[in-house]
Amino acid sequence: MRTPVYSALAAGLVSFAVSGAAAAKPAGMPQLDVHSFAPQLVWLVIAFVALYLVMSKLAVPAISDTLARRQAKIQSDLDAAEKANEDTRALVAAYEKRLADAREESRRLQREQAEADSALATARFTELGEKLNGRIAEAEKRIAGQRDTVMAGLEQMAGEIAHSAYAKLAGQPADGAALGAKVAAAVKGTSR
Amino acid sequence: MHSPMEQFEIRRLLDFKIGGLDASFTNSSLWMIIAVILATGVFVMGMRQRALVPGRLQSVAELGYEFIANMVRDNVGDQGKKYFPFILTLFIFILFANVLGMVPYSFTPTSHIVVTFAMALFVFVGVTLIGFARHGTHFLSLFVPKGVPFALLLLLVPIEIISYFIRPFSLSIRLFANMLAGHTMLKVFGGFVVMLGLIGGWAPLAFIVVFTGLELLIAFLQAYVFAILTCLYLNDAIHLHH
Repeated sequence: MRTPVYSALAAGLVSFAVSGAAAAKPAGMPQLDVHSFAPQLVWLVIAFVALYLVMSKLAVPAISDTLARRQAKIQSDLDAAEKANEDTRALVAAYEKRLADAREESRRLQREQAEADSALATARFTELGEKLNGRIAEAEKRIAGQRDTVMAGLEQMAGEIAHSAYAKLAGQPADGAALGAKVAAAVKGTSR
Repeated sequence: MHSPMEQFEIRRLLDFKIGGLDASFTNSSLWMIIAVILATGVFVMGMRQRALVPGRLQSVAELGYEFIANMVRDNVGDQGKKYFPFILTLFIFILFANVLGMVPYSFTPTSHIVVTFAMALFVFVGVTLIGFARHGTHFLSLFVPKGVPFALLLLLVPIEIISYFIRPFSLSIRLFANMLAGHTMLKVFGGFVVMLGLIGGWAPLAFIVVFTGLELLIAFLQAYVFAILTCLYLNDAIHLHH
């Protein structure tokens, strides 16, 4: 910062001027004209005090106020942005929670519906099976009845055929009871 | 051919006295007042709108403010806040006086030792008073370096005292000598241009162009150095350490 060239030059000039000032008239350096000191100092004080008052009363408060307001504005904007960011995050979280809840709910409903459906189906199947079983049993009973009737008819018919066949072959009516027993035994033997 | 010293002559523009005191309005006074008016223009007119998004002039004012505010904060700390307007004024006054001195046919008030010495002496006396007001006689411990054997103290304390009292001289002569030497150099080389004429005059002219740039840098740098040394002296007075 201190330029050595300048310092040397200045030192030279100062010593030159000091020796010159010993003479009545300062020939070389106006800086050492003692008569100019008073006005310079008076006006230095006036100018410096004026500038100091301007700076300390007007400029410094104005600038520090502006800087503080700017800082506050930036801070409040940052805070608002941070808050908006947090709100968004909370909204996204709420949205995702609701979405997850809805998914869970839909799965539950599906499961319940499936369970209800299968229970209904089982019930209907059982009911149908019972109904069918009843009808099967009924039909079997009817079939058995009809077979018994048929069998009875068959025995009688066979007896009559045996009677008429015996009468034609023997030329005389057969002993009804003995023939009937024989026919019955024969029919039983073939039918089962 | 004019003397290179002629540019430093004090010319009385308006003669008058306050009591017995010669308070004539001189060319030096004129340029001091111009510096104050321009600085006021930048710092008061520039800040008139107090805009949150600053315009050009307001940016300049804020830049100067923050430059010195950081300087005071870094070098003095929070206790320096009280003295911030003074240091800002000091910096701006010297800066404007120095830079305006670069305008042709203007005058540089800071090229006069009486002006720079008055400012340096004010800083020196002020800082010393602040030191005594804050620490009483304990302020004298500033001259006793810590952790030094007693034998060395006999040597070091006088050196510390001398270097302390040299401060106003080094502070004022640095600024004054830089202004004086720079302006003299420009004038001398300007003389060379005239002497060497159309044929050889271009070389010193080119030198002047480059040197004017350097002088602008020095105009700023010396204002900066004056302000930062004031901060360092103030720091010594407030915190008592080197």
